[in-house]
Amino acid sequence: MEQILEVKDVKKTFHLSRKQRKIEKTDQKKKVAVNALSFTAYPGEIYGLLGPNGAGKTTTLRMIATLIKPDEGDIFVGGTSVLKTPIEVRKNIGFLTSELKLEDHFTPNYLFDYFSRLHGVDEKDIPIRKENLFNQFGITDFQEVKVADLSTGMKQKASLAISLVHDPDFIIFDEPTNGLDVLTAKSVTDYLIQLRDEGKTVIISTHILSVVEKICDRVGIIIDGKMKVSDSYDALVDKGYEDLETLFFELLEEGDDHE
Amino acid sequence: MNSWMIVFKKEFYRVISDRRLIFTAIILPGLAIYVMYSIMGSAITGEVDDITSHEIVVYHENMPSDYQDYLTASERDFEFHDGSELSSDTIDDMLGNTEMDIYIAFPDDFSQQLTNYDDPSYTIPQVEIVYNSGEKYSSNSYSVISGALNTYTNSILYDRFGDGIVAFQSSITDTVDESRATGQVFASILPMIIVMFLFSGAMSIGPDSIAGEKERGTVATLLVTPIKRSQIAIGKVISLTVISLFSAMSSFVGILLSLPKLMNMDDLGGNVNIYGLSDYAMILIVLLMTVFFIVGIVSLVSTYAKTIKEAGMLILPFYFISIIVGVSSMFNGEAATELWAYMIPIYNTINLLIAILTFDVSMIHLVVMIIANSIYVTALIYFMTQMFQSEKIMFQK
Ligand SMILES: Nc1ncnc2c1ncn2[C@@H]1O[C@H](COP(=O)(O)OP(=O)(O)OP(=O)(O)O)[C@@H](O)[C@H]1O
Ligand SMILES: [Mg+2]
Repeated sequence: MEQILEVKDVKKTFHLSRKQRKIEKTDQKKKVAVNALSFTAYPGEIYGLLGPNGAGKTTTLRMIATLIKPDEGDIFVGGTSVLKTPIEVRKNIGFLTSELKLEDHFTPNYLFDYFSRLHGVDEKDIPIRKENLFNQFGITDFQEVKVADLSTGMKQKASLAISLVHDPDFIIFDEPTNGLDVLTAKSVTDYLIQLRDEGKTVIISTHILSVVEKICDRVGIIIDGKMKVSDSYDALVDKGYEDLETLFFELLEEGDDHE
Repeated sequence: MNSWMIVFKKEFYRVISDRRLIFTAIILPGLAIYVMYSIMGSAITGEVDDITSHEIVVYHENMPSDYQDYLTASERDFEFHDGSELSSDTIDDMLGNTEMDIYIAFPDDFSQQLTNYDDPSYTIPQVEIVYNSGEKYSSNSYSVISGALNTYTNSILYDRFGDGIVAFQSSITDTVDESRATGQVFASILPMIIVMFLFSGAMSIGPDSIAGEKERGTVATLLVTPIKRSQIAIGKVISLTVISLFSAMSSFVGILLSLPKLMNMDDLGGNVNIYGLSDYAMILIVLLMTVFFIVGIVSLVSTYAKTIKEAGMLILPFYFISIIVGVSSMFNGEAATELWAYMIPIYNTINLLIAILTFDVSMIHLVVMIIANSIYVTALIYFMTQMFQSEKIMFQK
């Protein structure tokens, strides 16, 4: 199958501010957040990036979303380079993070229109798309309520709808279930599965093993900025690993041994 | 629709659909200027009225009736009491608690003494006055009483020596330009207040509109849209500018309405408006150029800051410097004449406002300010766009 995402040997180094050096307890002025990382993803699958805190998941996703540029290597989304034509890439991706907080003052309805226009969605298509998504997430009833007055779950659903205004084929979701209760988390993961079934590619990051086990078709384990394993979930199970947890801890210990 | 207009419309809607922001950013500046100047105007007028309508309480000893006639002939009202029984301590007390405004004592044989001035044993009679300069009524009573005493003295001397006593006559003309004097009153506080309000108007919306995107994480949602980052920056700056222009217009209307009120305190009567159309037009131009600069600074700082709070804190130094520059004008009251003064932002605003209000404005200075501020604003917006392009600043940890 034709791959939709190709991450090729990307590397990203950050300069650490003095404050950050203190927090991370290091004297190093630079931090290699992602190092020679490669992987691919295919249409109609959910790819899960699994890794501990600080492994480089967010950094990788941001590079794919063209928010930050890789120092080395390149990333191709649907054959388009994030370095050469980021604007083309942006037309085809939806990016969402659980850290996103919509602006309190606006209603989901207003923000939906706003981001639709920014994405260049045809004015006549906006209401149709909106009705679809809002029904899907059960937002219709509170679409005129200000974000400030919405519950966390509702906010998350609204954010999700808003990041999909332009019906992207490729959806990037950093920590999709972070901070959500079980019920809301389930409605989000259910939707991701539905997107996959519609033939879209979903790439998520998480440090929660069960999320990967439940919804991901393929997994990449990142530790210390390096891709340790990237394979289909079934293949990993076939290789004789009891479960993801055992593999994950094995890889973590391996990393510690080298230090 | 241009992409910057999408951003502009949303940012603009953000403010005008929020009653609290409309009040603080747009209505408050004009209202505050109007109320402040009106209060100042009526306070000053009121104070003068209060003193001149006060009935002067005089305690006296042996006041000659012809002197008393001078007093009662004046426009002021008096209340005369016999003070011959009062000890000096009582007088002090009574002056202190405003029971008495002034104490005046003539010798008991005063009129007798006056006629005996030819006698070799003649001693000059002594008139004793006690008042309290710390009390406004008492202090004013003193000037009334002593003024009358002067006239009284002159009339006695005239009776004694006739015309010969008049050494010379003087003719005094006060050439004060009433308008300019009044202008100086405005020039002393107005510039600082205007700069303060323009700043606080921009500060109440800029950080939320720009740094807020970073704090909320919406900047990522915004930056993955296919519109150019410069368009986002421009949309935000323009909306901030338009709102701040409203704020400036509001200050301007406040000035327009309150200046005549303040002017009344100088009793200019019907001729209340000393400024002409061109003065107001120049004030408006200065306000616009100042708004551009302030919005530029607030936007740039808000783009750099990670959070709304940080933006607010980083703007404060600029705010305080501007206020200090404004305060310095309160003591100076004269516009700078050097050209360089008009190249420095905010300082040029203050100086031009002083110059316009005191009818001292030079067109060259105005032009220098317009050019200088345009250059600064272009540079500020350029740097802001650069910051929007910079992943380090947009996604710093
Ligand atoms: N903008 C930045 N500036 C400096 N250092 C950064 C920046 N972004 C990330 N880092 C550093 O790079 C490393 C990887 O961070 P990243 O956010 O990608 O990890 P993560 O896998 O998403 O972790 P988490 O599970 O905590 O979200 C960390 O050490 C982090 O401190
Ligand atoms: Mg992360």
